[in-house]
Amino acid sequence: MTREETVERLRELQRQVRHLRQETEIPTVERTMQLLEMYCHMARWQLGDIQAMVPELEEL
Amino acid sequence: MRLFKPESEATRFWNPYAQTMPRPELDRLHLKRLQTLIQYAYERSPLYRKLLDREKVRPAEIRTLDDFTKRLPFMDKGDVLEAQAAAPPYGHALALPEDFFLQRFATSGSTGVPFHIPLTYYSSVLWGESWLYLLWGVGLRPRHSFYFPFHWGIFAAFWSGYMAVRRLGGTVVSGGGLDSKARITQILQYRPDVVFCTPTYALYLGEVAREMGVDLRQSSVAYVFVAGEPGGSIPTTQQAIEEVWGAKCYEMYGSAELGPTNHGCPLQGGVHLGEEWYHALVVDEAGNPVPYGEVGEHIVTSYIQHSQPLIKYRTHDLVRWTDEPCGCGTTWLYYPGGVLGRTDHMVIIKGVNVYPSAVEALLARVSGLSEHYEIHAGREGVNDFLSVKVEARSDVASQRYPALKGEMESIFRTQIGVSIGVEILPPGSLPRYELKAKRFFDHRPAGHRWQLAGRTRG
Repeated sequence: MTREETVERLRELQRQVRHLRQETEIPTVERTMQLLEMYCHMARWQLGDIQAMVPELEEL
Repeated sequence: MRLFKPESEATRFWNPYAQTMPRPELDRLHLKRLQTLIQYAYERSPLYRKLLDREKVRPAEIRTLDDFTKRLPFMDKGDVLEAQAAAPPYGHALALPEDFFLQRFATSGSTGVPFHIPLTYYSSVLWGESWLYLLWGVGLRPRHSFYFPFHWGIFAAFWSGYMAVRRLGGTVVSGGGLDSKARITQILQYRPDVVFCTPTYALYLGEVAREMGVDLRQSSVAYVFVAGEPGGSIPTTQQAIEEVWGAKCYEMYGSAELGPTNHGCPLQGGVHLGEEWYHALVVDEAGNPVPYGEVGEHIVTSYIQHSQPLIKYRTHDLVRWTDEPCGCGTTWLYYPGGVLGRTDHMVIIKGVNVYPSAVEALLARVSGLSEHYEIHAGREGVNDFLSVKVEARSDVASQRYPALKGEMESIFRTQIGVSIGVEILPPGSLPRYELKAKRFFDHRPAGHRWQLAGRTRG
């Protein structure tokens, strides 16, 4: 898989994770989704896809 | 079942994409990261907004790396301490609410008041990540185990190493709450592959093991990762550790405020800047970048400290940076010899700038001298001077001490170009330390030292 494809799939994954985090009313799921989003942001940073310092400030 | 696919395990770099990126591309990426960080800090940290407003600079005006270098102010420890003092413990230095904090660290405050370091969950993961370029680069994988002879206190110390092992998926073995003898026993019992400690403690554990009749060279430990003080890239100390443990010794250089900024090169002899999470400049006394190959003060920008941003932060550490290709294959900046000294440790002897690290590095040239030494700086009139006290090895007869003294003084004269007095002492004469050794003693007036450090005091 190319870098660009990896970045695009990560973005999509982060969008889905964020959506789920916003929708859920279960604290444990919300926290897990928050951490998943953080790791998506981290992986994108490491592939040079820079939008914001922390995932909470990103517009997806 | 394995944690990594075999083809991933065989990869030399933890992040091949970033670690082999050509310099022009890497610099473009740094600019984007720096612009993002500056905007973030300006919007969220009252301290950083104040610093930029004082210089009449807006984040949007930083369009090039040259703008970053020339237009943005340096940050110093004092700036953050002042902001923290406004509303302790963190005051105006914060950029995120405390909801995001995972852990609070602080320095000991031995040179003033403690520096408070709030770490978010994300930052903690990235502290750990910064070690991974070294761990992975020397071949460590999740099947390996890592021993921490460490007290797990408020000091940042080896917490980042612990975060690294968690991130890798390796096994942590904790030596917290034990004395050194119990730790030696634990090492023999649990058979870790790696030990994390200060260079001083690595040597101290060697002495304790000898007293217990244990030969650490026969232990399971194959790697000793040292941090917290210079040593891992000083040949004398590195070789002494490798001899005691029968293991490879690697350095991680960083600071409590910034985290683990530079990891040891797998080929040893120096450290690489972890360019995924840090940007650095090396500057002269006037604050201008020195050419590659020259020594200057290490100025670091962290992409990790989200809760308390540090941008163009003065470390007061002296390093020599180079952009020459490294044999390990990474394009990340290389600092041969690691940290070469402190800006306020520079000694000027008859116009020659001498750093204690240069003296330390030469001590290994005389066989018969041990790794236990002290370097003393003094001042007479307008001249600084240096003297060295060093213990002979236990197998050297005292009749040989005058010859060792002559040989060492001659090496200093020819290699550094100045006279440095040497006193040879019998084994066991100098104090032993458990964590960090005190090897440099500065008896010069404080005002003179501050002046050398380029600070405003005195």
